[in-house]
Amino acid sequence: MQDTVLIVGAGPAGLSAAAQVASAGYKAVLVEKEDVLGGAPIISGYARLVPSGEWAKDAIGRMVKRVEEDGNVTIHKGTKVTQLNGEAGKFTAKLSNGKSVKAGAVVLATGFTHFDSVNKPEWGFGTFPDVVTTTQVEQMVTAGKIACPSDGRTPERVAILLCVGSRDRQIGREWCSKICCTVSANLAMEIKELSPKTQVFIYYMDIRTFGLYEDRFYWKSQEEFRTKFVKARIAEVTAAPDGRLLLKGEDTLVKRPIVIPFDMVVHAVGMDPNMDNPEISKVFGVGLEQHGFIERGEHYTNTCGTTRPGIYSCGAAYGPETIDDSISQGMAAGARAIADLHGMTRKAS
Amino acid sequence: MAIHEKSLIEPERLLRHETLVVDGVDVSGHWNTMITPRTITDYDDDFEAVIQRYPGAENVHRCWQCGSCTNSCTMYAQNVQFNPRYWIYAVRTGLKEEIIKDKDIIWQCVSCNKCTSICPKDVRPEGVMKALAHWLEDEGHMPKSPSRVFDEEFTEQIYARGRIEDSLVLLNFFRKTGQPLVPQWLRVFGVRLMQHLPVGLGMRFARNVLIAPRTRSWGRTGEVLRQYVREQKEATHG
Ligand SMILES: Cc1cc2nc3c(=O)[nH]c(=O)nc-3n(C[C@H](O)[C@H](O)[C@H](O)COP(=O)(O)OP(=O)(O)OC[C@H]3O[C@@H](n4cnc5c(N)ncnc54)[C@H](O)[C@@H]3O)c2cc1C
Ligand code: SF4
Ligand code: SF4
Ligand code: SF4
Repeated sequence: MQDTVLIVGAGPAGLSAAAQVASAGYKAVLVEKEDVLGGAPIISGYARLVPSGEWAKDAIGRMVKRVEEDGNVTIHKGTKVTQLNGEAGKFTAKLSNGKSVKAGAVVLATGFTHFDSVNKPEWGFGTFPDVVTTTQVEQMVTAGKIACPSDGRTPERVAILLCVGSRDRQIGREWCSKICCTVSANLAMEIKELSPKTQVFIYYMDIRTFGLYEDRFYWKSQEEFRTKFVKARIAEVTAAPDGRLLLKGEDTLVKRPIVIPFDMVVHAVGMDPNMDNPEISKVFGVGLEQHGFIERGEHYTNTCGTTRPGIYSCGAAYGPETIDDSISQGMAAGARAIADLHGMTRKAS
Repeated sequence: MAIHEKSLIEPERLLRHETLVVDGVDVSGHWNTMITPRTITDYDDDFEAVIQRYPGAENVHRCWQCGSCTNSCTMYAQNVQFNPRYWIYAVRTGLKEEIIKDKDIIWQCVSCNKCTSICPKDVRPEGVMKALAHWLEDEGHMPKSPSRVFDEEFTEQIYARGRIEDSLVLLNFFRKTGQPLVPQWLRVFGVRLMQHLPVGLGMRFARNVLIAPRTRSWGRTGEVLRQYVREQKEATHG
């Protein structure tokens, strides 16, 4: 049992943790509730990833293939953990498929849930078919065609609204989702590539293309692809008599009202805590932090820890996170788990 | 500089010339308008704290200038000079002069609170608008509002005598606000009332005051009623 790590969630973080555990000669049991592996980038059909530019299905596909081909990894798809007993070094997990798993450590790589735009009704999602989310545009880019859902026409003007479901006390979401600025700057370029005549506007309060994303995404989008960045938070989206969408707001920099027609409005949706988190907290006996993400243990010397010994976490389960960092954290959590198991066996002998 | 966006600049800073020669070059015509530069010599660092002391404006420091309040504002839809986001910025940076310049429109806020329910930072801009209106009054930039005159008269009487005389409050209020005791509208109202008042009704009023008639066939109802109320009271209070 002390040579097995139970990993819950097979997104970038969980796949990375499983590969790490297996490559060190330990056994990994990967439990994923969906019928496919790969997490959000695969389930939601993302296009090219920030920052590598690789297609999600290729990059994350390689991660999936690596664990599927590894004899040390057992995979349960369409499965959840329903009960966990025992303690660090000797856990027993019951699975929803009737099986049970004995493991010395658990890694929660259970990720996030996309914000549901219906919760911001003033911005028209669910009312107007041509108001879509970044995940839908990712899927359009993957399919190779940008089109208005209402009638299939190619949009002449597209507006991307940032921070939808993030940084908003009115709806109790007081965090920044970290990646949507960069993803939006990138999507603007991808839209332009597929439809060079389309004008893309990004409505922002702040642009957070942190670190090396500044010039590669923000500046490039603005300078080479002529994306127009407007500092304004839109008040509402309505429809014009001709069926186009109307954006109403204030261009704060020139202190003047704007009402602008668009063919498509895109919500840059944020990352919510996984909606399973209350259940996960109960089943695994781990705490949640104030926003509802998994609570981090003391980070400096209990890296990748949670509030319960022997249970570790990584990636977007802890809070909004990028793919690259989720992968690094998954690897760290896997390494932390096997190092602790190794310590226990050494002490026992 | 030729100026196209003149509406963004205060009129007193626009200089128009019929003919203009700059450094020996005649720039009359299209180039006839110049602006005087605006130099900010000081920020009043305490201004934000002063405004925050007014109830409702405590959260003004939270603002990140997204513009949602202005976008949604009822008054902005009428007049684009009415811009809560901008005034909040002026408060935060201590640009008192900007507030004073707009003193004639700031009070127009209708307290619809659309701004309050859209603000992502929970600044409660409506409270800030109210605070600014009060601050302008307190600093003497605006004449006192009638409601404030009324409140002051009310409290002064309390301080002086521990009670108020309704008629005195009203009298002094009318006097201090320069209103006639019997304003024009009340006079018209009275005259019309007299014109249309049915005389018979008036007579009946007068007679009833004198002989206070009973309801027909009232009989012992009053006695029974009194008895019933007494019993109910006893039943509940024991
Ligand atoms: C529109 C959009 C575009 C993005 N594009 C990029 C990008 O280009 N580059 C980038 O770096 N980041 C991007 N991101 C962020 C990226 O999605 C996350 O960084 C990444 O998915 C986090 O990986 P994860 O493994 O931690 O979580 P997830 O990808 O959410 O994976 C979690 C996995 O756990 C499973 N799971 C959840 N609960 C349970 C449970 N109870 N039991 C079993 N399994 C469970 C889920 O089904 C899922 O497979 C984007 C995000 C959005 C919203
Ligand atoms: S990353 Fe950008 S769009 Fe996303 S929540 Fe943060 S500031 Fe808003
Ligand atoms: S409360 Fe005042 S400032 Fe706020 S939206 Fe209404 S009118 Fe505008
Ligand atoms: S909506 Fe709130 S945060 Fe945005 S500008 Fe107005 S007061 Fe500031």
